[in-house]
Order: sequence, then C-alpha cells, then structure tokens
Amino acid sequence: MDIKPFTDTPIKFLEYDGKPAGDIGSLGLTNEQLLVMYRWMVFVRAVDDRGYILVRQGRAGFYAQVAGQEASQVGSALVLTKNDWIYGDHRSQGSQLVKGLKAAQWFAHVLGRTLDPTQGRMMPHGSGSADLHIVPPSSTVGNKITEAVGTAMAQRYRKTKDLTITYFGDGATSEGDFHVGLNFAAVYGSPVIFFCQNNQYAISVKLEEQTHTKTIAEKARAYGMDGYFVDGNDILAVYAVSKLAADKARAGNGPTLIEAYTYRYGPHSSADDDTRYRPKGELEMWRTQRDPVTRFRAFLVGKKLWDDAKEQKLLEEVKAEVADEFAKAEVSTPPEPLTVLDHVYAKRTPHLDAERAELAAELGVS
Amino acid sequence: MATVQAEKKQAFTMVQAIRSALIDEMTRDDNVVTLGEDIGIRGGVFLVTEGLIDMFGKERVIDTPLAELGIIGAAIGMALYGLRPVAEIQFIDFLYPGFDMFVSEAAKLRYRSAGQFKVPMVVRSPYGGGVRGGSYHSQSPEAYYVSTPGIKVVAPSNPYDAKGLLISSIRDDDPVLFMEPKKIYRTVKSELPEGAYEVPLGKASIVREGKHVTVIAYGAMVPLAQEGAVQMEKEGVEVEIIDLRTLQPYDTDAILTSVAKTGHAVLLQEAPRIGGYMGEIAAFLAENAIEHLEGPVVRVTGWDTPFPYALEKAYMPNVERLMRGIKKTLNF
Ligand SMILES: Cc1ncc(C[n+]2csc(CCOP(=O)(O)OP(=O)(O)O)c2C)c(N)n1
Repeated sequence: MDIKPFTDTPIKFLEYDGKPAGDIGSLGLTNEQLLVMYRWMVFVRAVDDRGYILVRQGRAGFYAQVAGQEASQVGSALVLTKNDWIYGDHRSQGSQLVKGLKAAQWFAHVLGRTLDPTQGRMMPHGSGSADLHIVPPSSTVGNKITEAVGTAMAQRYRKTKDLTITYFGDGATSEGDFHVGLNFAAVYGSPVIFFCQNNQYAISVKLEEQTHTKTIAEKARAYGMDGYFVDGNDILAVYAVSKLAADKARAGNGPTLIEAYTYRYGPHSSADDDTRYRPKGELEMWRTQRDPVTRFRAFLVGKKLWDDAKEQKLLEEVKAEVADEFAKAEVSTPPEPLTVLDHVYAKRTPHLDAERAELAAELGVS
Repeated sequence: MATVQAEKKQAFTMVQAIRSALIDEMTRDDNVVTLGEDIGIRGGVFLVTEGLIDMFGKERVIDTPLAELGIIGAAIGMALYGLRPVAEIQFIDFLYPGFDMFVSEAAKLRYRSAGQFKVPMVVRSPYGGGVRGGSYHSQSPEAYYVSTPGIKVVAPSNPYDAKGLLISSIRDDDPVLFMEPKKIYRTVKSELPEGAYEVPLGKASIVREGKHVTVIAYGAMVPLAQEGAVQMEKEGVEVEIIDLRTLQPYDTDAILTSVAKTGHAVLLQEAPRIGGYMGEIAAFLAENAIEHLEGPVVRVTGWDTPFPYALEKAYMPNVERLMRGIKKTLNF
C-alpha cells in the first residue's frame, strides 16, 4: 500500500471495529507476528495497571500511565533491532519493555530498588539500560530530542545501518528542542525517527491551545522532511509507518516525523486530576469505541486467529507473568545510602571522597 | 634535519596551542569529532579550527546550524554513543541556549543511569572581558557550571597549559567545560614540545613562589596577578600565585599548603562577586585554614553589574585593585 505523508486524516489499516481498512497483506506480517503484537499490547497494559496501583498503595511516589497508547508504543518499537537506540519521555515504558527491559526492572524502578538498572536514581519514568541502548528519559520535556539526533549522527559517522527513535508528546513540540532537533536531523540526513505520541493533551492543555497547525506531522514540511499522520490506536498502521521510516533511515535516506494520534486513559500522572479539564464522555468514548487492544483483538477474531478461550488463557498467562516479575522487584533491595556519592564523575573527586567520609560517619558505617 | 625540527620547541599562542591539541587528538583517535558554528571553512571566528576541515573532513569537523541547544544536545548524543565530541560555542555567553542540555543532561546522565552511560564531551568556549565585547561577548559564567555536579570546569592561563589541559579534557570520561580566556588568546606565548602531552585536571600550579600572601587566580587573571606581584615586590612583598587551572574539581592541597605558608589569601576573578566562584574558595579557607589566616580573605573581582561596553576598564579588575586587596589583608 502506498503510504503518504502529510495526510489530513490519520493513516489507518483497521477500522475502529477491527475490520481491515488497508492492504494489510502488504505489511508481510505472519500470523505469528500478529499474535506477538497483540500479546505485547496486553502485557504492556497489565504492567502499567500494576505499576499505577503502587502509587495508590503508597509504595511509589509517582506514575504516568501509558494506557490507551499501547498501539503507538508497541507498533513502533517492534520495528527496532538490537542495536537501535531509544530516547523516550515520561510515557514510553511500553517501548522500553518491547526493547527488552524486563518488567521486573521496570517495577524495581518504580519502587526505587537496585534491580532497576538505574538504581532508582530518578523518580519513575527515568529508567534505562545501556545494554539495551535505552537512554534514561529526562523530566525536562523535550530535551531528549536533540540527543537522539546526536546519536543518529554518530551512527551515520560509524557507517552502521542502525537508527535512533525518540518519543515525545504533543506538548513537547512547542519546545525549542523539537524544532532544533528536526532541523539538525534534516540538515545532516540523520537516521532518526521523531515519534510524537499526540494524546491531545499536555497535562490540561488541549492540542488547539498548543499549536495552530491542524496536525503536528505537517510541521515536518518546514524542515524538509516527511511527516506522517497516523492513527496511533491502530497498531498495524503505526507499525507500517514506523517500518517505512526505519527502512528509510537504514537506507541512509534521513529522518522522519511521525505523529501518532492517540489518547491517554489515565490522568496526566498520579499527581493530576483530569476531571478538571476533560469534557464529560470523552474518555468513555475513546475507551469504548477506539481502544487499541479491543480493536486489534476484533481484527484477529475476524481473521479466525483469536477466540474467547485463547483470550482467557492469555490473560491468565500475563497475570502470572506480571505477578512473577513484580515479586522479583519486591525482593530487590533499596540502594545503599553511601552510593549517593557514586557516579557523579568516572572517579570520585577529592571533594566527593570527603563528603562520603562525612556521610559514612553520619550513618555510622564505613 | 627532521629530528632537529622535532626537538625544537616552538612558541605558540593560546589559539595555536588549542588548535594543535585538537589536531593531535583527532589524529590519534577517530572518536574525536568537533562541531560548532563556523568551525569548518571559516576555521572558527577565532581561527582555532583553521584548516581542520581539510585535514579531517566535514564528517569530523562539523559546521552546525545556528542553535546551541542543538550543538550541546547532539554532542551529548554522540558522546553517549561512544564518540568524544568537542563542541565549540562561539562565545560562552551563547552557551545559555544550550544550558539546559548541559546542566540537565550532560551533567546528570552518568549519575542518573547509575554509571551505565557516560558523556565524554568537551565544550570549548572563549570567555571573559577586556576585548571591548560588551555585555554578551565578555562574561565569565563559571559559577553556574561549577555548582552543577557532574561537570568539570577548566580555565587555562597560558598556551602550554591550554594544550595539555584540553588533551586531558578530551581524554576524560566526563563532560568538561573548557573556558578559553580570549583576552590572552594571542598575547601570551609558550614554548610547546612536539606532540601531545597531558596537564592533569584537578591540579593547580604555583606560577610564582612567595612567602607573604597567596593570590589565587585562573584564566586571564593569572597574568594580572603576575603583574601585581611584580609591583608588590617593589614594596618588599613576596606574592605567591596559584593558578587553579581546574575550577571543578579544584586542588585543595595546593591552596592549603600555600595559605598555611603565607597566612594571607587574595582571591582574584573577573566575574561579579556575589555568588561567584571565589566565594567557594573563601568558604573553603574559612572552614579549613582558619588557624593559618593572619588577615581577612579578600576577594578582588568584577563589580556586581552586567558587563559594560564603554566602561569596561572601570569594570575589569586591574593591578591597582589587586594591590589594594593584597594590602587590605597584609595590613590587617
Ligand atoms: C520543560 C518542562 N516544562 C514543564 C514540565 C511539566 N510537565 C511535565 S509533563 C508536561 C506535559 C507534557 O505533555 P506532552 O509532551 O504532550 O506529553 P504527555 O504527558 O501528554 O504524554 C508538563 C507541562 C516539565 N516536566 N518540563
């Protein structure tokens, strides 16, 4: 299927009820791959539900759910290979899991335990893994975007076929980082995918108040690159557009902006009260009529690849796996207090050594 | 003939010394790349990168669009990937558009990732007054950066140190802000040996020995301190000068040893006084050297104003101001 940039309506491969809307065969996906996609979405949602409960239980300080955006996260991350790099934001845990971060590591991150590769240094949503080339997200909205371009420039310099993807929200497109990042990448033809999860809100600010353009994708035009406006709740469409962008990057044909039009189910974060700004009925409409998981399940059922029994079995499996992973995180220990002074620099400076001695005395340890 | 030339030391300006450090490191290690505005065919506005694009190509001498946010951000992304980028910011006053990237990201990624990621990058940038550059081509913003854990801050005072410190900075595994005192870019010359050498980070140097008072300085204030010392000598005062060279982490031993000997400390910087770098050194002395001090710790600094154009001379610390400071502590 010919996938076009700068469309007025989102690119779709599935109708809202799961009926095919495009040439799905052209994606070359096997039945097995389709089922893997589905399992990932179910898994990401289950992990996210478990993570959010931790705040309710008072065991974590913060959580930002990705629920509702599973197709955007999973569909795009599935085109990545081992050596590709990810720079995400605070709503990127789905792509991190697909890239290989263990759910146990994610839960440990939320709990602030040592099983977290980043040792609980950041509040939740700052995890990452050097082995998996997942750079820890920042809290400062937008500021991973130019870093991602730098990594892509380095990948190009090293003549690899690898790419870098960076995830950010619609709000982030108002930051200078977005514009500078797109411009740099276009000038250098860097192998980077700018993946905007447009969930239509930046905390309470609606898209119309964020930007005067109709789409975010069209901003790519100003930088001389293609921008694709895709239905972010249609995993096949997200996959198709991401694959196209990835192939283009690997072939040395430069960057792409993708706008995945989606919706978040939770409040902005556990610290937000979304009833103050969401119109009545909007959330219900998205949940019941546009849900990415339900939509894809309906497609699989239509293809006779799925049924109630399989669904039941999968839910049980995922539930057990999440419980297992959570148990591993729970038994992991919190970091030792003295490590607070480590990793500021490659080696502790004399000042940090002195401060460490001071803290050791305070703690009565050595 | 060739060996004779190789052994012959040559006199280099600071600009030439820094350029020579870049050439040596880029020749040695192809992870070293440099990026910035006008650094390619123009050779940088101060000609530090003159000719480098012909030697190393545009893949390694990267002219960037005019966006410091992008220069610092891209350098971080390259460094995370394993390169050793040296970013040139045309004037340090224009690092502010990239400030967030530098202090929120470059400085914190190692810590935030619990040591999994490192950011071995250098930001080189001319700083300081005395060149009729007005408010935005003259500032000394080191205080912002030294108070951000995770960044190292270096400020050489002569061509020899500039080359050795830059090489150490490039080889260092942490982000370094390399502040180049543009006032003395071409006024001071040093003999440089052939080839690469390191001057270690975190180590001060005693550029003049004396027993009555210690003057602590860095960058373009070091030559001023030397002038002041010559004047004071005529009055029978022997000034010891410490050139800090690295501001973060700084050399506490050198400071303590000298002040224990002289009993007096004068702290010289061209940045404004309040919240300035020398406030840290003053506090360090108050905490650790009180038993040696025979007079007040005195700061000699620029005024607490934005940097002026027409009144630059009135702003900049000068020999008279320094001598007044020295006498203030000696006559206590
Ligand atoms: C530079 C900056 N400004 C403000 C904030 C506070 N903040 C955190 S997330 C957010 C909204 C982000 O919206 P968007 O980029 O659309 O992502 P979403 O949360 O919708 O996924 C704001 C204002 C911040 N973290 N960083």
